[in-house]
Amino acid sequence: MSLKSILTKPVRMIAALTLASSLVLTGCTSTTGEGSTAPLKKEDLVMVVSVINTTNPYFAANILGAQVLAKKLDIPLEIVDSQGSSQVEISKIQAILAKGKKVVMFVNTVASSDAPTIVNDVKAAGGFVTIWWNKPDELNPADVGNNFVAFQKHSGLESGACTASALSEAIGKEGGIIALPGVQDSTTSATRVAGMYQELDANYPNVTVLDEIPSNWDPQLAYKNSKDLIAKHGDKIKGVWTADDGMQIGAMQAFKEAGLLEKVKFVSDGLYPETVAAIKANEGNGAIVGETFHRGYMASAIGLYTAYLAAIGEIDPSTLPAEKRDSLFAISCVTPDKIDEYLKWDNDVEGWVDTLIENGPWDTAPVPLVGAGPEQIPTRNN
Amino acid sequence: MSSTATNDKPRNRVTAGQPNNVIAGFIKRNVEVISISASILVLATIFSILNPRFATIENLQNLLNQAGLPLIIAVGATFVILIGSIDLSVEGVMSASGMAFVLMSANSRGGTDFGFWAYVVAIGLAATLGFFSGVLFTKVKVPSFIVTLGMWYVGLGIATVLFGTDTMPFLTNDDLSTWASQQNLGMPNNFLLGLLVAILGALLLRFTSFGRVTLAVGNNEEIARGNGLKVNRNKVTIFVLAGAISGIAGIVATIQLGAVNPTIAAGNLFIALPAVVIGGTSLAGGKGSMLGTVLGVILLTTLTNGLTLADVSPNFKTAVSGAILILAIVITAWSQRDRLRISK
Repeated sequence: MSLKSILTKPVRMIAALTLASSLVLTGCTSTTGEGSTAPLKKEDLVMVVSVINTTNPYFAANILGAQVLAKKLDIPLEIVDSQGSSQVEISKIQAILAKGKKVVMFVNTVASSDAPTIVNDVKAAGGFVTIWWNKPDELNPADVGNNFVAFQKHSGLESGACTASALSEAIGKEGGIIALPGVQDSTTSATRVAGMYQELDANYPNVTVLDEIPSNWDPQLAYKNSKDLIAKHGDKIKGVWTADDGMQIGAMQAFKEAGLLEKVKFVSDGLYPETVAAIKANEGNGAIVGETFHRGYMASAIGLYTAYLAAIGEIDPSTLPAEKRDSLFAISCVTPDKIDEYLKWDNDVEGWVDTLIENGPWDTAPVPLVGAGPEQIPTRNN
Repeated sequence: MSSTATNDKPRNRVTAGQPNNVIAGFIKRNVEVISISASILVLATIFSILNPRFATIENLQNLLNQAGLPLIIAVGATFVILIGSIDLSVEGVMSASGMAFVLMSANSRGGTDFGFWAYVVAIGLAATLGFFSGVLFTKVKVPSFIVTLGMWYVGLGIATVLFGTDTMPFLTNDDLSTWASQQNLGMPNNFLLGLLVAILGALLLRFTSFGRVTLAVGNNEEIARGNGLKVNRNKVTIFVLAGAISGIAGIVATIQLGAVNPTIAAGNLFIALPAVVIGGTSLAGGKGSMLGTVLGVILLTTLTNGLTLADVSPNFKTAVSGAILILAIVITAWSQRDRLRISK
């Protein structure tokens, strides 16, 4: 074999691979070109709800809200189960975009960093998307364009403050508590934790956070970490703050096994069905003293309806005020004696969606629009 | 195929008046166990200094409680690694068996309480999944890494389907949901169960022909097959056994939490596998012990518990755990570094 052929052979191979790759990439129409924001016809639309997994009650409720709304609007629905993986989430979304119909999408992102890829892909495909809960701070809907209709969430600061207050009042405004945040790099968790500290620093100086161990929204990990903290702090622990109800389940089990369930108070976020059952059963002699009320079906229905209105041209995102592009929706502080006031909403999801369609996404009780993001995490003086 | 280089040095002999030879021989035969035990003692001493609450009875019982579940899993993993294979399906199998167990027991979703049969079905389901792993591995010749990775997702899928769209099912029997951490002989029940499983595993390895065949297969599969040993049958049996043990672990995990969701087993595999390796079981197969596995689990549990009590920031905990883990593996494997071992 001559030197000439040795040198040109790899070059030819590389050139061929480059050409083939270029053809493949240009053939992927879902990820090239600029998205259109002209009003779309309903028959060209498909609704998409993307959730982190399908077994967490909140995400299961996201799916429920999407199903009810899709049925009301008579639009087909696709469900994306991300299985906890950013790669799975993005791959499945791209596959749906490649099918050809224009998407009206709600995404509960696995991680903040997923949002830019998703919104850019949706934009390129001419669809419309709202992102809930997590996105990078520097990614603004107004900067991306009309296809990124809005970023929406409930205030984490308010959630943390509400639950910290309920817990502090229940333990007599003094004593030690432990905190179990969610995933460390989750904005949702970070803002709830920040809200907790802000409330304690401002109003409950005699309540001390003995320890804080991130437990990844995982009941088993929360159980294990709680066992360690019980061994570490013993009866100094008067209260337990968890960033969501899933972790509260694990924490309560740990304290129950230690014979401390009736001596310690618990607060959390979400008022999951399991938490409702524990409150109604007066578990631990009223161990749970504070919760927040918001619902997954409300979030997904609001997000999808917002995107739908933009898709059919009923709203022009570029003319919306800032709070309707980066939105904070109301969250309710709930104590056990008041839970029935909020649970009534769960008895008629279809009725609530009807009200949403009538009133619009920003003015529907019990979760009207209350402010604009992004939430600024206050700095603490330690 | 793994092989162990022969040792040309004459074996140590016990001779009258030379106790040093006896001690040296003992140390040489048990160097991994001694290394791990020393590592545990060193860690325990350091953590006790950093936080005196580490050495309290309460925390030691907590430590054993946390060791119970990984110990059960690690026993099953030890069997598989002894034949030079690996079982990644543990978490999926645990999820499937745990879900089946709770749904067939008295739980918050209602339904019939099948009592004893809940255990049978749960463990049977897990063993069946192990059987399929073994058959695919031996008959279809799919590498164990791949087939058990697939079985992980199969198990997870079964758990997800069983979970459905209803709320998380809780065990409604309070005695059952607190059984794991109840104390007997001063130790939590789940650790005692793990110890029992480990002892049974050790007896199986040491005193049965099945155990001897297992070690022979792991040491040199071709020679074992050439000597008429039923290698494939042994491998399938190992995977069935490992599956059944994962099923037991799934039941314990749900009893521990008092509830179940499809991700109940998340994170357990990557505690159990390092524990087995630290315990001296060779990834190439043919060498290992249940005692080493038990000590490996205790070492890792001591590490994570101690770091929490020592106020190590969560931001650094994972990195610190990893660094200490590497050090422990190096110390444990130091005596093996000169032997020629070819991985399968």
